[in-house]
Amino acid sequence: MAAVTEAPPLAPAPEKKPPRKRGRLVPYWLLLPGILWLIVFFALPMIYQASTSVQTGSLEEGYKVTWHFATYWDALSQYWPQFLRSVSYAAAATVLCLLLGYPLAYLIAFRAGRWRNLIMVLVIAPFFTSFLIRTLAWKTILADNGPVVHTLNNLHILELTNWLGWTAGDRVLATPLAVVCGLTYNFLPFMILPLYTSLERIDGRLHEAAGDLYAKPFTTFRKVTFPLSMPGVVSGTLLTFIPAAGDYVNADLLGSTDTRMVGNVIQTQFLRILDYPTAAALSFILMAAILVMVTFYIRKSGTEDLV
Amino acid sequence: MTTTDNSGDVRLSGISKTYDNGFTAVQPLDLTVPQGSFFALLGASGCGKTTTLRMIAGLEEPTTGTVHLGDQEVTRLPPYKRPVNTVFQSYALFPHLDIFENVAFGLRRRGIKSVKKQVEEMLELVQLGEQARKKPHQLSGGQQQRVAVARALINHPKVLLLDEPLGALDLKLRRQMQLELKRIQTEVGITFIHVTHDQEEAMTMADTVAVMNAGRVEQLGSPADLYENPNTTFVANFLGTSNLIEAEVDTKNGDDIVLKAGGGKLVLPEARCSAPTTTGGKVLVGVRPEKISLTHADDAGEIAEGRNRITGKIADSSFIGVSTQYVIDSPVCPEFEVYAQNIDRDARLVPGAEVVLHWNPAHTFGLDAAQAIDAGVAEAEEDAA
Repeated sequence: MAAVTEAPPLAPAPEKKPPRKRGRLVPYWLLLPGILWLIVFFALPMIYQASTSVQTGSLEEGYKVTWHFATYWDALSQYWPQFLRSVSYAAAATVLCLLLGYPLAYLIAFRAGRWRNLIMVLVIAPFFTSFLIRTLAWKTILADNGPVVHTLNNLHILELTNWLGWTAGDRVLATPLAVVCGLTYNFLPFMILPLYTSLERIDGRLHEAAGDLYAKPFTTFRKVTFPLSMPGVVSGTLLTFIPAAGDYVNADLLGSTDTRMVGNVIQTQFLRILDYPTAAALSFILMAAILVMVTFYIRKSGTEDLV
Repeated sequence: MTTTDNSGDVRLSGISKTYDNGFTAVQPLDLTVPQGSFFALLGASGCGKTTTLRMIAGLEEPTTGTVHLGDQEVTRLPPYKRPVNTVFQSYALFPHLDIFENVAFGLRRRGIKSVKKQVEEMLELVQLGEQARKKPHQLSGGQQQRVAVARALINHPKVLLLDEPLGALDLKLRRQMQLELKRIQTEVGITFIHVTHDQEEAMTMADTVAVMNAGRVEQLGSPADLYENPNTTFVANFLGTSNLIEAEVDTKNGDDIVLKAGGGKLVLPEARCSAPTTTGGKVLVGVRPEKISLTHADDAGEIAEGRNRITGKIADSSFIGVSTQYVIDSPVCPEFEVYAQNIDRDARLVPGAEVVLHWNPAHTFGLDAAQAIDAGVAEAEEDAA
């Protein structure tokens, strides 16, 4: 109080402006950089791509907008196997990420104690190397004469995966398994981090309360911990599935022509064949497909009801 | 319900808890809580009362000693195998389940299929029938508290453990819930063990109160017994307010001890003295503020014979409606507290006035002078804050 009374009186404002008007605009000013960014790097390219997808013509003569929607149908009917592969590889990688990531996130959140920060750093550490180099490293790991393939061979696991169609012959490289492994590895941190965040928020007393109310440890997990971690499961699976479905690096470096995903097709169409309309149409189909699947998934998992 | 069996007895034998960091929360402790009683563990924060409760619940493993429920030893049983339920401090309701499912949780885990009738009855008991389909965060604090009680009680535990269940409620609601819990306990007849730092709460609700301090039980007894006959300065100061005077044993006169304090003499019934009383030994003489009468020094002649008396000067007075609280500056005790009922107020009793304090010797208690005179004062103040 003393400080307030001792402060010199404020100089009278030269003109009486309604002080609120400027304050009201502040949020918009703060939004401006973000909005500009979105317009330049998202909205404009989207419009450009949309128009490209309905153009016809050739490189020599130039492309013109002719509202040729048949490109979409042609792209879909020609490349549906790659679409299917993208979705199934991404789904497999997402499930693997969840299976590997959940126990680790659980461990970090509830059991790690003073090791918690160290393990978190280890989870994030791969990001210090480039995506490309990490993926290339898997080429070495899964090399035909490497220890992994040897071990899998000796344990007769390759026979099983061959039978399932995940691998072929004595190789892991250039098979669907290699691509899924690469995807799983590269997107695992995107699964672990949101899972950890939502697990860590769970009040430990809820576990005690469940135990007190006759729930055995596994029942406690099934009825309390897992439902409460659903927001993390949903965001983790989305953060894994969406980029994995559009990925082409893993299929490119670890796969073969038989494991091409839609991302590879788009890349080839854009950069090698230079068939821009087909590439743009494929991009839009992929985007729409993911949007539909994600909407359905979020509705189904009903996480808006969770705290 | 069943008052004859002893399956709801809780017996703690030599139980103690030392944490990995070497901190001993509970010193070896023996305690028996009889079936059907409302038992309170009272103490300031960090006194070991919650740890004791958690050892009964199975949420904490005792370092030494055993826990018996009735005739069954449960020391090593995990919580989900114990016929005991807990009402947690912040309720720990499951946020993803509605009120109905929260209450049904325990029944479902024990494989009971038709829970509807039981849950509805229980929600009626705690007056929450209308809220069954709401989520916990949609309820007020008092309602959440009742859900927590219902969720525990529906399992018909042998013992219900309450860990500061009213701590998060405002004063008025707390008073209301105290009566409510007492009513429920009488209705269901289950053993309640209630942990609290609020001495008033412990005294209103419990049949038996154990006052805990630094991992030990200081004293155990009925609320009236603890209040009237504290055995230690901690209990005397933590439970209500006590005026303690340092005195020296002078002579014995039948069942009474005569003591010298300052210039005067005080009489203390020997039966109410928990300290050794050899002549010349020191004793702390205690008296509760509401037992004392205040007379202006001019009228000192009118005071009846045989009463303990002390002279002093009023240092401060505050009028609080039903009573007036005086602080008296006396040679034997610098801050003597007196609560006087506002019946016939003497207009001369204002700060600065010379007064005589007098009381019936039967209301005097004696404590061992070897302990700190102000033990428990800081704890009581901390909790009042």
